Amino acid sequence: MSIRLLALIPVAAAISLALSAAVDAVALPLFLDTTGTILATALAGPGVGIATGVVTSAVNTLRNPTFWPFVVVQIIVALYAWAAARAGLFRSFRTAVPAGLGLGVIASVTSTPISYLVFGCTTTGGIALTTALGKALGLPPLGACFFGSFVSDFGDKAVTFALVTSVLHALPRRTAARFPWALRAIGAA
Amino acid sequence: MTGRRLHPFTLLAIAGALPALAWILPAPIGGACTAAVAFVLTLIPGARLTPGASPGFRGIGVSPGSRPGLVVFRTALLTAVPFWVFLRLLHDVPTTIAIGLRITTMVASFVWLAATLAPDRLVEATVARGWSVTAAYLFAATITAVPTLRDRARRIVEAQRCRGLSPRGSLGNRLRALRALALPLVLSALHDVDERALALETRGMVSGARRTPLAPPPDSAVERAARWALLAACVAALIWRFK
Repeated sequence: MSIRLLALIPVAAAISLALSAAVDAVALPLFLDTTGTILATALAGPGVGIATGVVTSAVNTLRNPTFWPFVVVQIIVALYAWAAARAGLFRSFRTAVPAGLGLGVIASVTSTPISYLVFGCTTTGGIALTTALGKALGLPPLGACFFGSFVSDFGDKAVTFALVTSVLHALPRRTAARFPWALRAIGAA
Repeated sequence: MTGRRLHPFTLLAIAGALPALAWILPAPIGGACTAAVAFVLTLIPGARLTPGASPGFRGIGVSPGSRPGLVVFRTALLTAVPFWVFLRLLHDVPTTIAIGLRITTMVASFVWLAATLAPDRLVEATVARGWSVTAAYLFAATITAVPTLRDRARRIVEAQRCRGLSPRGSLGNRLRALRALALPLVLSALHDVDERALALETRGMVSGARRTPLAPPPDSAVERAARWALLAACVAALIWRFK
């Protein structure tokens, strides 16, 4: 791995963890905690993306330990983002947003069994509340757990994909060309 | 021995073993024991938190005369309490206690780890062991980069507000505001990559290069034995539980 790609990993992981300040400012129910993973994958491929996801989970675990078991989700997000980058789905919002919605479904399907088996569906406040809502609607425990994950992940991943698309298009071509996958991800190579 | 003087690998081993045992041992006794041990650890002198290190930490009551151990204990407690509330919302009392004690063990262990593990000592320990420094670098560099980027994010939020950006209103307005706040942050962070790469290159951070630790943390035979004992305890508990 080149030094530039090695330097990209902590920066991308820190982006995921620092974006909460921007989310707080606009008061939207979003996490954007996979932004760095998706961005690193779109710029530098699956190896860098997976490493970014693992590092993001490890560091986030020091703030909230319940994040660690969800490292699997970060790895799946990186693999999905790689497939999206290969297909050039970051070329416009029209292709990126549906891809993000697809990731939302996959991420919620992946995180539901972890959340259910390890934490009894109690991970973070927002998800626990939507899970409680699902339970109040008469869903079985696993169904309520999926409902909670789905509500939080579906929109979040679409916004994340749209944000990464914005970043990739806003990058100067000279900067983008320094990363092996950036131009291909936006369909420019 | 204070938490900060323990070898970084020992800190990681303890913080990993306690939640593992909490999940392996039968509830609620197993979880109660591990949670108690984790909370005792938070009271050991040497652990200290920096503001923002953990969601429960707000710096309340931190004065020069206050005991840092109590701050870590309180942080662990404040972080764990919401989980109990949400668990009770979703489950009956026995399930709430069983899962709650496990999550509490996990929270207290990691809050203690965050307060005692110095990233630079972890890097030194990894180098001294002759392992790849890359993993330790990634972990330590991310921990140090997060507060910097958070500060930058706050400055961007303030600057954009000064320019008249309204982060309220309709969903579309908020999403546009989010883009205006997040884009400068991400782009500026990506511009840092070259600078960091140059810094790493000048410090000889290339693959295969053997590095010499400047001040490797001492690793006593007792601590090494303790780490193996923790691993053995987890394996034994696993075998006993599922035989």
